[in-house]
Amino acid sequence: MNTWRRVLVVAGWSGLGLVAVAVMLSEFLARWPAGSERVGPPLLAPSAPFPFGTDLLGRDVLSETIYGMSLSATQAAEAALIALVAGALMGFIGARLPRYLAALLHWAVASFAAIPPLLLALLLVALSSRGLCAVAAGLAAAPLAFLRTFERARRESLAGHAAHARATGISGSALLNRDLTYEFRDALLPTIARALAAVAIILSTLSFLGFGDTPPHRDLGLMIAAARSSYFTAWWTAAFPALALMLLILLARLAAGLDEGERP
Amino acid sequence: MLRFLLKESGRWALALLGALAIAVAVAAMARRGQRFDLALGRHVLAFLRLDFGTSALTGAEAAAEIAVRGPVTLRIVLLGSLIAALLGVPLGLLLGTGRLRRATAPLVQTVSSAPVFCAGLALAFAARRLGFAVQGEWGPLLLPALTVGLAGAAAIQATMRSAAASYHDAPFRAGLRRLGLPALEIERVHVVPQIFASLLRALGEIMLTLLSAAVVSEWVFGQHGIADLFVHSLALQDWNMAAPIVFVFAAATLTAGFVGRLCCRLVAGTEP
Repeated sequence: MNTWRRVLVVAGWSGLGLVAVAVMLSEFLARWPAGSERVGPPLLAPSAPFPFGTDLLGRDVLSETIYGMSLSATQAAEAALIALVAGALMGFIGARLPRYLAALLHWAVASFAAIPPLLLALLLVALSSRGLCAVAAGLAAAPLAFLRTFERARRESLAGHAAHARATGISGSALLNRDLTYEFRDALLPTIARALAAVAIILSTLSFLGFGDTPPHRDLGLMIAAARSSYFTAWWTAAFPALALMLLILLARLAAGLDEGERP
Repeated sequence: MLRFLLKESGRWALALLGALAIAVAVAAMARRGQRFDLALGRHVLAFLRLDFGTSALTGAEAAAEIAVRGPVTLRIVLLGSLIAALLGVPLGLLLGTGRLRRATAPLVQTVSSAPVFCAGLALAFAARRLGFAVQGEWGPLLLPALTVGLAGAAAIQATMRSAAASYHDAPFRAGLRRLGLPALEIERVHVVPQIFASLLRALGEIMLTLLSAAVVSEWVFGQHGIADLFVHSLALQDWNMAAPIVFVFAAATLTAGFVGRLCCRLVAGTEP
């Protein structure tokens, strides 16, 4: 990794750290309790008392964006952990299964990976409940994470050092332990950040399509969806939540060290 | 080549079988009190007869409903693919070069962070502000297709740029330069085909992007294609309708991946 990329990765993680602090302090940072209506005139443009303006119901868009960001980031973190365990960790272990079992598992997961993650997440939410949208997003992002880790781990398990270790009598579990340690050291943080970027997009889109949280819990996707009726005349109702969402995804992308435009 | 073709065809057929199994499992959710395993068996037999059942909401045959709505999505995806190729390929080739790549990196990274629905809403906003009126049969599809196209262009340029970067310091370039080949010829004859081969190899992933974008753009712009039908079916738990659509989307992705790998073999001469 070159120096510039390393700087961007550090910037990404620092930004995510600040978002985490903002999430913890959201009650203090926001000037009104979540969902407070008629705190100002409806659809008031950004001004000194309301820097992000107000929405159709007279809610302070700045306060609502902070709460929305808090909810989106928390759910994305939960979903990223699920994607990490159900995808990356299972891929790592699956690649070390006996050949035919590994091939069978790969086939099964690849079948799910052929369905666009958004559609898979929609399907999972419809099969369970809206309250489980973070689980659904995590599971929907898991197949691609599985396949990515599976390919890498398969190459690793067939590499020269593995054959040499087996020939010298080192047990399979000791080898797995060693590879897992290196995997954690080298790929854990980028994998988490990559999963965070992927699930943040899926979760916000789920909410936008009406499959996510329901009011009074409003994440950024739902805020943008609610602003659809007013944003042609009051752009700030959608623009600020959208910018906050883009910031979250951008920070996760930078932290993952993704190429510009690369799919998370 | 024949061995490669047989191997890839086998992989493709197996993958389609997996997608069919998922679709059957989804259809079996509409079991109306029946045990899941029995419903699964019944739906396997029905799917083999190409009987996808009837919509629980409209009472129409699922296949007929898809046939009516399918062309809308097909047009959006086709037009979107065209826009994606027209924008993505030149961008990928242009931004693949060192200096320009570094200069545009912050902009591309920021734009890539926008979810498709934000891009769709921004396009709708811009169209309204600019007084952009759409007419004719294809007119209403222009903005949804442009949204899909932009998502596809991002995927295409990323794939090409990533491939260009990986070939930038490849040892064969130095070797060819030492043999006296002009830089332009090395790029044209040896590097560009490899970049296009990488693009073809990623055709399945690009199709995933296009289909996801189609779902969102149909929703944003109120187009009633099968992607929109899928969202409504799930919202109302119409599993008979959702199941074949899942299969159609998965089959499209798998077929794109299959065709891409075949074309990659033809272009690059090596197995993808």
